[in-house]
Amino acid sequence: MSIFIDRTTRVVAFGATGSEGSFWTKHMVELGTQVVAAVTPGKEGEKVEPEIPVFHSLRRALAQISTDAAMLFVPPRFAKDAVFEALDGGIRKIVVVADGIPLHEALQIRAAALSCGARVIGGNTSGAISPGQAMMGMFPYWIQRVYKPGRIGVMTRSGSLTNEVTAMVVAGGFGVSSLIGVGGDSVPGTRFAELLPDFQADPETDAVVLIGELGGTMEEEVADEIAAQRFTKPIVAFIGGRHAPPGKRMGHAGAIVSGGRGSALDKIAALQKAGALVAEKPRLVGECLRKALGRMYDRN
Amino acid sequence: MKLYEHQAKDVFAKAGIPIPRGILAVDEAQAEAAGETIGYPCVAKAQVLSGGRGKAGLIRLARGQAQLKEAAKTIFAAPQKVRLLLIEEAVDFENEIYLAVTADPAGGGALLLACAEGGIDIEELARTAPEKILKTHVPLSESLMPFRARDLAYSLGFSGEKAKQFAAIAQSLYAVFRAQDAELAEINPLFAVKSGGFVAGDGKLSVDDNSLNLHPEWEPQAGDFDSETAFEAYKEGIPYLQFDGDISLMCAGAGLTTTVYDLIADAGGTVANYLEFGGPNYRKGLKAMELCVRNNPKVILIVTFGTIARADVMAEGIVSAMAALKPPCLIVTCIRGTGEEDAAKTLAAAGLDPLVDTEKAVKRAVEFSRSGGRP
Repeated sequence: MSIFIDRTTRVVAFGATGSEGSFWTKHMVELGTQVVAAVTPGKEGEKVEPEIPVFHSLRRALAQISTDAAMLFVPPRFAKDAVFEALDGGIRKIVVVADGIPLHEALQIRAAALSCGARVIGGNTSGAISPGQAMMGMFPYWIQRVYKPGRIGVMTRSGSLTNEVTAMVVAGGFGVSSLIGVGGDSVPGTRFAELLPDFQADPETDAVVLIGELGGTMEEEVADEIAAQRFTKPIVAFIGGRHAPPGKRMGHAGAIVSGGRGSALDKIAALQKAGALVAEKPRLVGECLRKALGRMYDRN
Repeated sequence: MKLYEHQAKDVFAKAGIPIPRGILAVDEAQAEAAGETIGYPCVAKAQVLSGGRGKAGLIRLARGQAQLKEAAKTIFAAPQKVRLLLIEEAVDFENEIYLAVTADPAGGGALLLACAEGGIDIEELARTAPEKILKTHVPLSESLMPFRARDLAYSLGFSGEKAKQFAAIAQSLYAVFRAQDAELAEINPLFAVKSGGFVAGDGKLSVDDNSLNLHPEWEPQAGDFDSETAFEAYKEGIPYLQFDGDISLMCAGAGLTTTVYDLIADAGGTVANYLEFGGPNYRKGLKAMELCVRNNPKVILIVTFGTIARADVMAEGIVSAMAALKPPCLIVTCIRGTGEEDAAKTLAAAGLDPLVDTEKAVKRAVEFSRSGGRP
């Protein structure tokens, strides 16, 4: 099993006819993902590699195929429209990779997702991957020292840093069950804490690695879930930006320290207080996992 | 994109929010002339983007011409490099209110914030007595409904005409937040005036960077940046921060670059600049290195682990940038990700040592920056 996506997920890809979109759609299929249709206005009748039919609109696609997830490769200024089209078509799992979605549109996307009970992953994300099974997004899954199948769940706000830290999960002797990038924007469609029930319920996830960063309150919300014992599997966190000077917009758009809140040190303190292990450097993530899982196995 | 106080107040005034009479001055002479027009007492306020201006001595009250001249002189001489002064009439107020509209990331809407105890200590109050800050979620599908604004006014303790006036200001500020695609629209303090009504004592307006194409009037100018290099990086779309240490970061990915910054600080090194040339910028190796070289760093540290940003292309960009610029400093590379095998070959052929371990690369950069050696 896995969370969010597996071999049975039927994906429709928006913007898959573009160069970036077609490149990654092909890789999604190569990894094992079922991509059943593509949507690009004006291109109905064409095909996306390997043999994916293209439709003008989702409604027109739904007359011929069934789907349960939408992969949006559209540019930032079209992201809101594409999310609403997917929601209107009844799709409740959506990945938005676009980097640069206008803030007020990101807020409207979040509001719409909440009101439909949908899970929107992103924007500004690499997406979601269950290594060895399926992916929605852009992951160099062929790099085996990063995307090795296993039993550790990963959730992250970052792209390159995810490769860096996940390589250390694998170097530590572990592999990944599902990796979800919630994205680097200040208003992600899905927040870290909202993924915890899925990881908690997944029998193939033993522990979760959280790759966080200064700014916002998502890491603190995870700490609250741990403290309230709503999430009981071990969590190992790495938080970037410990030395970021206040007021400088270092890291992602979502990452700014203001008014003495949301600093990396605040987050580390909150997570440690709740019982999570915090790796000071990416290299120490594997060691922390061994420590955390050793503890869990001892308890059993 | 943060706007200056005078820009924010112009926007607020056009939306119907009362602001004090004010005149801008670029030097002492203009400040003096402004004082004569405005009258005394007046306030001289440095137009800088950093917070805590009052505590830093960048806002000064003047009761007469001599005091204003002295205030202008002091502020223009301050280390913050003040280029513009706002001379404003002093407002006779009975108390200071805090009022702001910002994004509500979890709720997917706007958040209206208000506090009866506004002023310079609001951040301290937010820590010690957060319950005193009233919060109202507003769906973006509405213009601020009168009932929400009314409820807030009464909850702050206003009644009668004052409650109506406050509610109108809250509605106007919300309209500004929406129309400007703002991250934050804030009035702190909002003066409750003795003679009746309210006046915005300060104005903060921060426009979402991803919406700036809709607001060309706020296009940043050279003077808004910490350095000319920072401005040039902005024009290239390359994320860049100016520091004054020894090691230039030329990395990819916001999270990874931030982490490399941490690792350098842990190892006792200092950073000359933060620069990302990943994502859409991964073919801009030459420009990125050119910007780094301007800072005369002892080391340029290149750490990447890219997906879309192909390692092989970045390596080629680095090698050709080195040939073009001949940087007089050590280059340390740690380039991984899509196409990493070819990248390593390219770097090795150019005489570089292609490291694959971030911490080792950081250690080498810091040791070299300390010994001050040259390659």
